[in-house]
Amino acid sequence: MTDLNQLYKKAILEHNRNPRNYGKPESWTHYAEGLNAICGDLVEVYLSIQDGVLETVHYSGESCAIAMASASMMTELSTGLTTVDWQQKFGLFKRLMDKNNAINSFDELGEVNTLVTVKKFPSRIKSATLCWYAVDAAIKGVGTATTE
Amino acid sequence: MLREQFPGLNVQVHGKPLVYLDNAATAQRPQAVLDAINDYYLNHNANIHRGVHALSESATVLYEQARVSMAKLINAPTMKDLIFVRGCTEGVNLVAQTFVRNRLKAGDEILISHLEHHSNIVPWQILCEQTGAVLKVIPMNQLGELELDDLDQLINEKTRFMSVVHVSNSLGTINPVKKMVQAAHDKGVPVLVDGAQATPHIKVDVQDLDCDFYTVSGHKMYGPTGSGVLYGKTEHLNSMPPYHGGGEMISKVTFESTVYNAVPAKFEAGTPNIAGGIGLGAAAEFILAAGIDKISARDHQLRVYTEQALKQVSGLSIIGNAKEKSPVFSFVIDGVHAHDIGTIIDHCGVAVRTGHHCTMPIFQYYGLAGTCRASLAFYNTEQDVDVLVESLLKAKTMFQ
Ligand SMILES: Cc1ncc(COP(=O)(O)O)c(C=O)c1O
Repeated sequence: MTDLNQLYKKAILEHNRNPRNYGKPESWTHYAEGLNAICGDLVEVYLSIQDGVLETVHYSGESCAIAMASASMMTELSTGLTTVDWQQKFGLFKRLMDKNNAINSFDELGEVNTLVTVKKFPSRIKSATLCWYAVDAAIKGVGTATTE
Repeated sequence: MLREQFPGLNVQVHGKPLVYLDNAATAQRPQAVLDAINDYYLNHNANIHRGVHALSESATVLYEQARVSMAKLINAPTMKDLIFVRGCTEGVNLVAQTFVRNRLKAGDEILISHLEHHSNIVPWQILCEQTGAVLKVIPMNQLGELELDDLDQLINEKTRFMSVVHVSNSLGTINPVKKMVQAAHDKGVPVLVDGAQATPHIKVDVQDLDCDFYTVSGHKMYGPTGSGVLYGKTEHLNSMPPYHGGGEMISKVTFESTVYNAVPAKFEAGTPNIAGGIGLGAAAEFILAAGIDKISARDHQLRVYTEQALKQVSGLSIIGNAKEKSPVFSFVIDGVHAHDIGTIIDHCGVAVRTGHHCTMPIFQYYGLAGTCRASLAFYNTEQDVDVLVESLLKAKTMFQ
């Protein structure tokens, strides 16, 4: 497979086409907006946190396939985690997406590992990571996040 | 062949020959421009307007000759009406702060258009904050043209200044600026025209336009980055206070007071971008030699060919279909986000820009976050357009 075909793997295209947990839910306890103003990526995340557990994680926005698929996968992985566990996965995800880091998968990240090829497209890493930083901001009670 | 004079077109990206369709962001530069820059650093390296030594003398001559070439390109009455600046952005800020600011009081109006680049919006918003003036906007329509029917009402007794773009970088629209200048002047309102995207494509004659100010960006017209000129009518430039203080812009300094130098030196504080200015002069000479009419004719051929070719991509919509436009194609494709298109076609060697192209209000009008933009120059070929179309079809297939 060429790099390009690896980037737009089936799983990524599938999540882009059928995003999970997409759309603004009826209620939530935590919210943040992830905005990369220069490139135009926008994701909004809506969390319901009860007793330190991410009961539901939703997102909305209009972005490229990489950002959409990443957000879709992230919501699936995050739902049901405690915020402490979520932070640990976020740490792993940051290491996965660090282009100076040769590691190309962490068992704990499951399908999210398919995003690792984005590392070969440095200008797109910020699209893939935006939703994670938005959730981090929401948990911390900060209204906005950016990865630009 | 003019194309062969642009060595930057000969590179490979991702193992494919470059197809450079991002000319509205910055153009390629001909060998003559590169040579002029090198010649200055190699053979005339000295500061200008200062030394008595031979190199300072010859560098000064080259720099001032560049001003003459630029005056010729835009048909300014005299080279003294041209101020060297870093680009259009600096030109607009200079005019906002030194010409318009002290004519404003709270409630006065500045008129711009919906098609402006952020560099012709934000400096006026800053000025409005400083003075309590109000920004008004000439509306646009679905075609990407300005709606000028109500221009006479928009220019009213409160209007103190109008600043409009000649050619839109995002949609390619060529605005009827001569008519607009006339309408503003009928009400005594001075006008700045942002010519960033005009000089690389169409004939610019500031005397015929009768505009009060005109900004030119060097890097868009095959010249160096960080170079440009601001044209202003002599009487305005003479009456304006300086923009930056420093060396070069003075004729006498004591601790009690300073006497400013004459125009244009009054606006050129500090050591300028000497190599950039000289390179810009070479770019002007290049355009004059190639013939702007020939360049415009080639632009037209490319526009017709590209419009036709893009029809092969189903689901593609061109945003901005003005009757008068330069070969700029902003487009969206159903089901494929602009950034994904940009990434995929980059791997086919095709360089385009994606996003809002520093014109967010235009895309707010269309309800879009952004587009892909293929912006052509006369040195692009029909084959370049074919590669673009092929690569777009490939992007569509990947997303099916
Ligand atoms: C229409 C228009 N105006 C102004 C500018 C800013 O010009 P410069 O880069 O010379 O500051 C640009 C370029 O980005 C432009 O396309």
